Amino acid sequence: MRRLMTAGALALGATFAISGAASAQDCPVKLGAILPVSGPMGQVGERISNTGAFAVKLFNEAGGVKGCPVEYVLRDTQGQSAIGVDAAKSLVDLEGVAALIGAVSSGVSLPVLTSVAVPSKVVQVSCCSSSESFTALAEEGKTEGYWFRTYATNRSQSAMGAKLTVDSGFKKTAVIYVNTDFGVGLAKRFEQDIAKLGGTITSSVAYNESQQSYRAEVTKALEGEPDSLFLIAFPVDGATITREWLALGGTDNLIVNNSLRSSDYFEAVGSQYLTNLVGYDSAQPRLASVDTFNELFEAEFGGPPDGPGLHSVFDAVNVVLLAMEASDEITGDNIREGIRAVTADGGTEVYPGVEGIQRAKELIAAGEAIRYVGATGALQFDQNGDVQAPKMTWKLDGDENVETGYLSTEDVAELIKMLDAN
Amino acid sequence: MIGVISYLIFFLILALTFGIAVMGLNLQWGFTGLFNAGVAGFLAVGGYTHAILTGPARDAVFGGFELPFVVGLLGAMLASGLVAIVVGLVTLRLRDEYLAVATFGIAVSIQLVAVNWEYVTGGTLGLIGIPNPSKGLADGPLRQNAIYLGMVVLVAVLAYVGLQRIVQSPWGRVLKAIREDEVAAASLGKNPTRVRLESFVLGCALMGLSGGLYVGFIGFVGATDFLPIITFQIWTMLIVGGSGNMKGALLGAAVVWGVWTGSGFAISKIVAPEWQAQSGALQAVLIGLILVLTLLMRPKGMIGEDVHVSRHAADTT
Repeated sequence: MRRLMTAGALALGATFAISGAASAQDCPVKLGAILPVSGPMGQVGERISNTGAFAVKLFNEAGGVKGCPVEYVLRDTQGQSAIGVDAAKSLVDLEGVAALIGAVSSGVSLPVLTSVAVPSKVVQVSCCSSSESFTALAEEGKTEGYWFRTYATNRSQSAMGAKLTVDSGFKKTAVIYVNTDFGVGLAKRFEQDIAKLGGTITSSVAYNESQQSYRAEVTKALEGEPDSLFLIAFPVDGATITREWLALGGTDNLIVNNSLRSSDYFEAVGSQYLTNLVGYDSAQPRLASVDTFNELFEAEFGGPPDGPGLHSVFDAVNVVLLAMEASDEITGDNIREGIRAVTADGGTEVYPGVEGIQRAKELIAAGEAIRYVGATGALQFDQNGDVQAPKMTWKLDGDENVETGYLSTEDVAELIKMLDAN
Repeated sequence: MIGVISYLIFFLILALTFGIAVMGLNLQWGFTGLFNAGVAGFLAVGGYTHAILTGPARDAVFGGFELPFVVGLLGAMLASGLVAIVVGLVTLRLRDEYLAVATFGIAVSIQLVAVNWEYVTGGTLGLIGIPNPSKGLADGPLRQNAIYLGMVVLVAVLAYVGLQRIVQSPWGRVLKAIREDEVAAASLGKNPTRVRLESFVLGCALMGLSGGLYVGFIGFVGATDFLPIITFQIWTMLIVGGSGNMKGALLGAAVVWGVWTGSGFAISKIVAPEWQAQSGALQAVLIGLILVLTLLMRPKGMIGEDVHVSRHAADTT
């Protein structure tokens, strides 16, 4: 019993020593990030985190928030909700972060939102959570406006996947999807959408992450002799599946979701096998702001921003930091209002990069309205914190992925309306 | 200061909630020698049952009976217990590694059912809006969490006291007899199969209770809440804390959860963000190392088995 007490006292002392005072107004201004940098989503999460840190770095070069440097504090969620929730609470209580960026998977973002962000009145902006549950929660008023996401929901993804498949002329599609909330939801929607566009599904097979081989799943999916494969996966497992699919005689007509738009995937499979691969992603709208981001990214990381969530996390960080800049006092409620204020119609447009942020700060100091137009374009949040985004389709040309089509936000909305109507 | 207390309360809620599951596993493994590798599945059954019973009514989804919190917890225990009866009848003839594989497979199956059975579990969307009773009793996260912690402590104490009574009773002695030498126990007229089933069911009911408490706290349940890693965590908590000792179970829960979250905190403080992916892997190594070192150097765990022949035999053992 005494050992227990000593251990407890030591732990308590250590926590006091490490945490110090957690006050939101002092310099530096802390921005918390809860992202899966290890685990099955590790590759994706790591790049997203680095991009978020890059956005913070640029903002600091432009002078920081109200003259204070911004500190990017990252906690790994490992893709597990209990860990994510604890990490978020630690960031809010012990680090005193003013806002949270994260998480990636909806199964982690939602618990964090309900048990940490909303009770502590901390704004949470996710780059990547696509579940429709957030919209439902917001509509019931349970998010109290503290939730935003810079990533469009699953709905537009399945619509794009179905349209791309049917437009490419495929009639019998097999579906292999990752058995998580993301994959299952998307696969189900895809089946509904493709039926409405006149295509058929030969089989739909789920796979569990982080396995060495997927021969069983691939063999099952090959039944019915499909003329195409819709693959919903992440780079590592997606590559394993693709290789086994091709090795077992599957067609090389592949349609893939946005998370496979990644050089990790192309290299792991070998781009010579992916000549008939097509995919979709949220589009970077044809705006100067996007080119600016692409250039900045390329200069910093030595490669194009071709992974999922990179553009959206960059914008998530920027709108939060701009909202802080535009607030008298950095509180959750002010940031909540500020995010809408800095993306509202009618403000003077400001773009990413050090000059853009400096200009934004000058305008804010002069009391003028700004409108941030970023890596995902002129983003705007509806009353539930959701964004709409234009979409694009792409294919591989040698080792490069090239755009083959573009649907504006209105086009995507029309497509979804048409599919929902039937 | 307030921040530290607020965090500690939150930490303890999770640690004790897991601790209840660890006590359940302790009953199964520490006392009866049953290798249950399907802990996550029973947590899931309890969690979803609690959500279905206490959640708000929704069109597309079954459930939403909006029953009181306590009813939800009891329902969680009952549901997990029922599933355990079914699983137990089928698998408890198996020994050791076969039982482990079978229960592991069942846990994975339960998780997959949760992801796909949309009508009951909400499928990939999960079930939102599960009421947390502390929200109506106080304002602000600090007070609300303190109240919830009080509830969890109460449940944990009740479970602890109840389990201690059970394992120090004649029935508890049969458990240990089966664990040590089943043939001898059978030859003395005990019914090992039935007692094993009873122990399995009771342990799983506790895991269900733990799942219900977790879901009631978070306010949401989704299929990714109960992945196999949780089974690993609960097992590590038991091994490190000391199997065969209920105090060890609770201590192990606090220590292992503390190491897991504390190492995340330390990494976040010490390591620059661009290197955290690598150190995340190191964290996994650290946990594995602790487990292996415990097994090698202190297999009893932090607190060894509590050897008790009988409550009435005083300290004569």
